[in-house]
Amino acid sequence: MIELKNITKKYEINKNNTTIALHNINLSIQEGEIVILKGASGSGKSTILSLIAALSKPTSGEVIVDKKHISKLPDNFASIYRRDNIGFIFQKYNLIPTLSVKENILLPLVPLNLSNKEMEEKLHTVMQKFTIEHKKDSIVKRLSGGEQQRVAIARSYVNNPKIIIADEPTANLDERLSLHFIEILKEFKALGKTVVVATHDPLFFGLDFVDKEIEIERGNLLL
Amino acid sequence: MKNKINIYLIEYAINAILRQKYKSIFITTIFTLLVFLLSSIFFITNSIKYELNSTVDALPEIIVQKVKAGRHYDMDGDSIDSILSISGVSDAVARVWGYYYFENAGVNFSIVGVDSYEKQYKDSLANIVEKFDLESDKPSMIIGSGVRDVMNQNYYKDYFNFIKPDGTLKRVEIAGVFDGDTNLESNDMIVMSKDLVRDIFDIAESKASDIVVKVPNPDEVPTVVSKIKILYPDSRIITSEDLKVSYQNIFDYKSGVFLALFVVSLFTFFIIIYDKASGLSSEEKKEIGVLKAIGWRVDDVMKEKFYEAFIISFFAYTLGVALALAFVYIFQAPILQNIFIGYSQLKTNFELPFILDIQTLFLVFFLSVPIYIAATIIPSWRVATLEADEVIR
Repeated sequence: MIELKNITKKYEINKNNTTIALHNINLSIQEGEIVILKGASGSGKSTILSLIAALSKPTSGEVIVDKKHISKLPDNFASIYRRDNIGFIFQKYNLIPTLSVKENILLPLVPLNLSNKEMEEKLHTVMQKFTIEHKKDSIVKRLSGGEQQRVAIARSYVNNPKIIIADEPTANLDERLSLHFIEILKEFKALGKTVVVATHDPLFFGLDFVDKEIEIERGNLLL
Repeated sequence: MKNKINIYLIEYAINAILRQKYKSIFITTIFTLLVFLLSSIFFITNSIKYELNSTVDALPEIIVQKVKAGRHYDMDGDSIDSILSISGVSDAVARVWGYYYFENAGVNFSIVGVDSYEKQYKDSLANIVEKFDLESDKPSMIIGSGVRDVMNQNYYKDYFNFIKPDGTLKRVEIAGVFDGDTNLESNDMIVMSKDLVRDIFDIAESKASDIVVKVPNPDEVPTVVSKIKILYPDSRIITSEDLKVSYQNIFDYKSGVFLALFVVSLFTFFIIIYDKASGLSSEEKKEIGVLKAIGWRVDDVMKEKFYEAFIISFFAYTLGVALALAFVYIFQAPILQNIFIGYSQLKTNFELPFILDIQTLFLVFFLSVPIYIAATIIPSWRVATLEADEVIR
């Protein structure tokens, strides 16, 4: 279960200027839920995702995941938390463009120093799941947008995380590919994964398998 | 079972180097050049120091010269007897030598006279006397390999005509060519009988160019020097230590020129280091942010950056040292060698002896590799310890 308690997040632009991304928000997400965070650009959606993924720390308040106060984790433990629990799909995919599909997907597993056999098994599983196996050795920068997104999804899934976080996953995709992503969300739901998607794409609104749709405006949740 | 060394991290590091192909090639080239230059200088320095020390070690402990109006004059040969009577002196030999200027080639030959019946003050001379007959009927000489080359270039293959002070010619046959243990010193040397040297330079029978004195106990050298000074107040006394310092000074001056070049290279190297240390490109920062976001710890990022820097710097170090070894010891350091040992009037045919000093290799290693690794790791560490969110944004 994910709990955000009295979260405020401020970003310091310079010494005399700070911007408040989140105002004292409270949010609870149950295990296995699919949650859509919707709102305009700059509303604070991505900040919530960053806090859940322990990519940043709240200015005040607490982020609790499975009863662990992840907002207080030291940097190295935050990394381990992400490695073991989080799959992150970035808006611009954030792949390493000059590496191959295989190398990109395996990146989260590199520090684990697994055996070759384990690596190959995990790779094979995710590549089959997200139908990217035929592009295994292709260099990522030569792939289409949809293929790159599948690589990003495969990378987020390779460590079999409990929580999958997607930040504007369809921002660079056409409608057909966006609908395909929605199908993938359904699969995640079926697998019991907790999924949090930040988007302003209307295709995600009113989906029957989505458990919660939360609107955010200027750092406040609209209930 | 987990391997201790993470091969995937090393693979990633190699990939990272290959991804930045041009940058990596540039850094490796500069790094290799620096190591090459630095190693070459050290290798040449070591070899020449070895050669000079061998030369100086073979010299007698004391040389006594007569000085008049600040200039070197011939001294009375019978001074030997009084010097030999000083306790601590085991032997004293009157030397007859001089410089002969060969105008056609614009070079000086050092002509040294020997007496086959005397005990030689240097092993190299003793070897020559033993090997060649200088007391034959025909005036003859043994020449250093550099002298031979100069004479050959001027069509003197079997003999040479010396011009005496009165303008007459003295034909001397070339009886042989010697390869000294220390080429640096003997390259411009001609060895002949003392009588012949006296004839060529018009030195009287009773006179000697100087006197070399053997003192077996080095602790007694200062006492012997002071006693000779009392006996001959008009003399200049040179000890082998003085010569060592003098050689060293000449050599250090030459090193200075190279030091300047070296500083320029070092400066270039540090510009690169500064460039790296002052920050990473936005792409490099973003990559570290992404790696952190997908679960890499700061240690993982640091290890990967360490491998990256180590691979580049160690490769460049090895290549630089290998090139320097080949350059100095196989190709005999063209250009560089002349700058270092060009103090002789003759172009020396000097072979740098192979002296591989492990300390030198360590010194070059520590002057280059750890500095580069630190310069790579520190900025990466700065970025890796920031919040990943801040870096990706």
